[in-house]
Amino acid sequence: MFTGGKSFVSSPPAFSNDAKRLLVCTGNTVSVFSTSTGLQTCELEGHEAQVTSVIVVPATNPASKVLCYCWTSSLDGKINYWDFAAPELMRTIDIRFRIHSMVIPSLLCQRTDSTGKLPVPDLYAYISTEDMKQEGKPSSFAIQKCNLTKSRLVCGVTLAETRKPRYVTISPSGKYIGTCEKRKLRIWEIPAKDSEHVGYKKVSLHHTRPITTMAFHPNERVVAAGDVTGRILLWRGVGRETFSNSKSSNGRMNMDREDMPGVRDTDDADSCTTWHWHSSEVNMLFFSSDGAYLYSGGKEGVLVVWQLDTGKKKFLPRIGSPLLYFINSPDPTLSSISCADNQIQLLRMPSMEILRSISGIKLLCSHMDMYEGFGSAVVFNPTAGLIAVPAENYRVQLYSLFDDREISQVQICERNHQPGDEITVKVNLVALSRDGSTMCTVETRLPEEGIGSLVTLKFWACGSQKKQISLSTVIYEPHRDAEISCIAFRPTGNMAVSSSHGGDFKVWVHRHELTPKDETVQRSGWTCHAVGSYKKKPMSTAAFSSDGSVLAVAADKVITLWDPDRNTLLAVIGDSLEPITNLTFVGKSEYLVSASASRGSKISNPQLTVWSMSKLCAAWSYRLDIEAITCSMDDCTFAVLARSKPNGSADKSSKHAEDVILLFNAEKAVPLSVWFVSEAQGGGLSFVSSDEDKVSGTLGTDEVLAYINGAREYVLLNPHSEQDISRQRDFTNLDETDTHGYASVYGELPEFSLKADQTAFPSMPSGKTWKGIFSGPSHALPPLPKLCSDFLESLLERRSGVVE
Amino acid sequence: MAEAFPVKPKLRPTSSKLTPTPEAKYWRSFKIPKDIETTPSKSFTFPINSIAFSPLAPHDFVATHSASVSIFSGKTLEPKPTISSFSDTAAAVSFRCDGKLLAAGDLTGTVHVFDAKSRSHLRRLKGHAAAVRSVSYPRAADKLHLFSGGDDSVVKYWDVTTEKCVFNLLGHKDYVRCGDASPISDEMFVSGSYDHRVRVWDVRVSNASSVMELNHEKPVESVLYLPSGGLIATAGGNFVKIWDVIGGGKLLYSMESHIKTVTALCMGKVARGSGEEAEENRILSVALDGYMKVFDYAKLKITHSMRFPEPLLSVGFSPDCSTRVIGTSKGNLYIGRRKAKVESEEVVGGFQWKIVEDDPGRKVLRPSYFRYFQRGQNLKPSEGDYLIKRPKKLKMAEFDKLLKKFRHREALVAALNRRNPESVVAVMEELVARKKLMKCVSNLDTEELALLLAFLQKYSTMPRYAGLLTRLANKVVELRAEDIKSSDQLRSYIRNLKRDVEEEIRIQQSLLEIQGIISPMLRIAARS
Repeated sequence: MFTGGKSFVSSPPAFSNDAKRLLVCTGNTVSVFSTSTGLQTCELEGHEAQVTSVIVVPATNPASKVLCYCWTSSLDGKINYWDFAAPELMRTIDIRFRIHSMVIPSLLCQRTDSTGKLPVPDLYAYISTEDMKQEGKPSSFAIQKCNLTKSRLVCGVTLAETRKPRYVTISPSGKYIGTCEKRKLRIWEIPAKDSEHVGYKKVSLHHTRPITTMAFHPNERVVAAGDVTGRILLWRGVGRETFSNSKSSNGRMNMDREDMPGVRDTDDADSCTTWHWHSSEVNMLFFSSDGAYLYSGGKEGVLVVWQLDTGKKKFLPRIGSPLLYFINSPDPTLSSISCADNQIQLLRMPSMEILRSISGIKLLCSHMDMYEGFGSAVVFNPTAGLIAVPAENYRVQLYSLFDDREISQVQICERNHQPGDEITVKVNLVALSRDGSTMCTVETRLPEEGIGSLVTLKFWACGSQKKQISLSTVIYEPHRDAEISCIAFRPTGNMAVSSSHGGDFKVWVHRHELTPKDETVQRSGWTCHAVGSYKKKPMSTAAFSSDGSVLAVAADKVITLWDPDRNTLLAVIGDSLEPITNLTFVGKSEYLVSASASRGSKISNPQLTVWSMSKLCAAWSYRLDIEAITCSMDDCTFAVLARSKPNGSADKSSKHAEDVILLFNAEKAVPLSVWFVSEAQGGGLSFVSSDEDKVSGTLGTDEVLAYINGAREYVLLNPHSEQDISRQRDFTNLDETDTHGYASVYGELPEFSLKADQTAFPSMPSGKTWKGIFSGPSHALPPLPKLCSDFLESLLERRSGVVE
Repeated sequence: MAEAFPVKPKLRPTSSKLTPTPEAKYWRSFKIPKDIETTPSKSFTFPINSIAFSPLAPHDFVATHSASVSIFSGKTLEPKPTISSFSDTAAAVSFRCDGKLLAAGDLTGTVHVFDAKSRSHLRRLKGHAAAVRSVSYPRAADKLHLFSGGDDSVVKYWDVTTEKCVFNLLGHKDYVRCGDASPISDEMFVSGSYDHRVRVWDVRVSNASSVMELNHEKPVESVLYLPSGGLIATAGGNFVKIWDVIGGGKLLYSMESHIKTVTALCMGKVARGSGEEAEENRILSVALDGYMKVFDYAKLKITHSMRFPEPLLSVGFSPDCSTRVIGTSKGNLYIGRRKAKVESEEVVGGFQWKIVEDDPGRKVLRPSYFRYFQRGQNLKPSEGDYLIKRPKKLKMAEFDKLLKKFRHREALVAALNRRNPESVVAVMEELVARKKLMKCVSNLDTEELALLLAFLQKYSTMPRYAGLLTRLANKVVELRAEDIKSSDQLRSYIRNLKRDVEEEIRIQQSLLEIQGIISPMLRIAARS
């Protein structure tokens, strides 16, 4: 199975010990990216469900910096131990609970007592688990302890039971772990010598608003928490009574509550201060490694750096998307921010500039579906294996299906996107010509109280590398103020058609014009070639036949066939029950497929119909709710993405509703193959001609079926055989020559070890021996035979020193 | 990472005319020299029938108007004293090939020959029974003969010295109004008549009938031999035709871009750079519609057209490409002259770069000198240097800065104060995109509201902005009704706005009526 388009930001990433790699949880796998190039270097495959956390085993001494081990936990109930340099799976621990979060405090503590000779204590992990019970009952969540050395859960140790999955936060020193739970924080102290049976000291801190995130100070007992209103709370001296061992703290019990400003009721803290800058929910909090600064970020997409002592702020604005996680690396000049638009930004630290970004496929933005009639579907470029994804920030992302990598982004309209703003301008249609040379976009500005709405059609010329995309033509209000429903490119030649709900369609042609000044430079642009309408009916979709001779435009419930060059109506076919939503000519055959459905109404008669062009009548039809249709370029097969439930009744319980991809031959009404998929709403389907270098396993045909679901994850299927498409990805090699920080200026420091210190300066002992032998007055010298042996011995010693 | 985008007005459709072609630039560079612009003698009260340039430098030119012929100096463009020894209106004029003699025909039927320099009257050629509208000397080397054509439909070939008519060339059946001599042969010439015919004559053929007859299909107003001698351009009606004479009188092209009668033709040249090869020939045609068109007969394309406010009757172009003269029916003479570049070149040639060398005894600059801080600023990059371009500074207008600070109302007022409707509309559209326009309108104080209303009154009926502004005007009136009622000034704006809108509605209605008339016709036309 060739899958891709996974979310990079489902859980926080982790840096490797040398800060040259970034481990990112991507669906069922962990992808390893190089921080110097931003490209993927390898992938850890082994989990069967989403990976929820990745923890790199920290280096205890400089020599072990090159060691690349990590622990991962996943929803399939397994904890894996990897060598991610190889990459190789070392161990698997199956605990049979879904794991939502995992921390390993002892990894962080070990650093202090790494002298070696002592027996290594058992490694304990604290995991947030979900116990899947029978159907119907709500599953229960708990924070449990797991002995990683002995590969089992520690019985009877349950720190907390909750109703929702909790994200467990750990302090940088590994001494405390905590979770936020509605309006309170729970903090546990992890004993220095962790064993299976040990008591935990616990502190709760309360607040009046739901708390969203928390962070521990690296070396003081300071805890920060962010709430849904954007406030940041900072407790100092947390757990002075509970956690400190000395008895002297009893005296504090008598102190007045006034000495503990801001602290609620019986919370165990010295003081609580509140900072308020964020206008909405705080998503991430992070203390800098020296503890002087606090990083915070939220929905506004602004990284705020608070100076802890003074409360002064510094900002990194305009990141453009809500911030989710902030991670710093062992290299003090590098850290990363995960943004909600599936992008990880690598920051150069003290100056906070974005070095590079690792971006996945753009996710469907949350409020796109709020506006009816705003298509936000991805479009495929079948020949190049590209998809164009309209993103929230007025850009279109071009994404390579086979490489699973972003190719480029195009700014469609010159506006800045602020996360959290009300949407007023939106890129709602994208179309790519078959050869990929032209892109067409439609953007709409919503009116304010009925004035100022604008639809703009833009044609873009793509360069050879798909990197340089330049604006070719801008057309304001192409169909008056009516919205454009569909854009289709003619497979042969420079022609496009745009149909509108306003009842007409326009045929656009690409014209070249010699500039008068320099006749070698061509000025080209798209101009309107013809306008057509049929009984003023709203035109919902349009399609060209594969040879480009016939243009089919759906006018409400009928299909009109036109000669695009002469703009004459050839025929009108069909009378479906519902408005037609989808039209496709089947390859080079004589068939036309149409799907009709009425969106929004409860009672609908969705239909999939195949029309014969030679007889101008329906060949066969099904009662199916079709989300997408695609046809292969050569033969007469086509595939449809059908939804098992009509659009109107998409409620919560439809989670297990199975949507289906059906592969048909246009001549027969019996499907050739069937695949069951989920989350088909807003999904897309296309035949994509495969690149033989990248994909193996497509015997005979060179077309694969690409399916992308509503969550923008895609899968490539082999339409003609059961054989799976395997993937041979060529990862770029990790660039090892790159150095950072001190090393980049002064070069690598020589490795020091205590042993080496003792035997350093090998020439010195010999000199010393000479001195020792011949020091003193001559009469006190030992007799010669004795001296001779000493002398020879010193020579021997010197040799051995050199050898060593 | 986001960047700042300044507010931009909507793009306008661009046409190729906005960027002038090199040829258009060339033809526009013929400008009326400042020094003669004010002199009254360039305008006469009578139509200027004919213009001729002397073939010799400095290319003096003559223009005929009423009963006189004016000679202008080709160097200074100053008028020399006129020859006015005509008893009737002078109609045609021609220089001899050496530029020393000048022949002019008048409406009595006489052809007069003058000395071009002394203006003394040398010969009178009498013989035409009616007005002589066409006179031409042979262009190559013959200094003794002359052709003329008259309203008696006869073309005569004169021996000038003896004042005798050598041949009477018969064949035309109507007024002969134009003629031209071949540029390569002294014996060949062409005449055009109102009988729609153009006849090519060869005086070596004695039998007094034309060598070739071309049918222009309209009364021929002007005829022109093109420099190769193989092509003829004829003008009549509202088109110009190009004929291939050597190829048996084949019609090559018919240029139909004038909308009224074409009255005169002449040869023009486009000088590109320097040298003979750089010159390209063009046909200049003028017509009663007031247009001068430049036709490239090599590419069969009109390369430039120029409008004048009066009907044009005659045109002349100096052989050295420096002067272009057009005469109108109201007696105005449009003299265009190109600036000579020779002088400026001399200036460039006389200038020399000096290499400034640092003298070794110069003091080392210290921070105590002001120049220390300026050192190296004027340094030019040498060839091998890698240039790091300074990032281009983004120009932000005042309203852009205010928009950036979310001071929306101030931004709108700042845009309104700039009085550039495009930017105002662009700011309004940006405010719509931020959903702040209505709030801005309701927050405006009286003066600012007056500014907005003045703007709306001026532009809300303009088609480019009407879509947004008419609706906005409606909203403004709705939102601020109370304020408008209370102020006289605002009420006057509203009165004006109302008047404009009513006017616009009237226009729209009449346009609809016209459309109603036209659409059945179009439908019929489409059917047939």
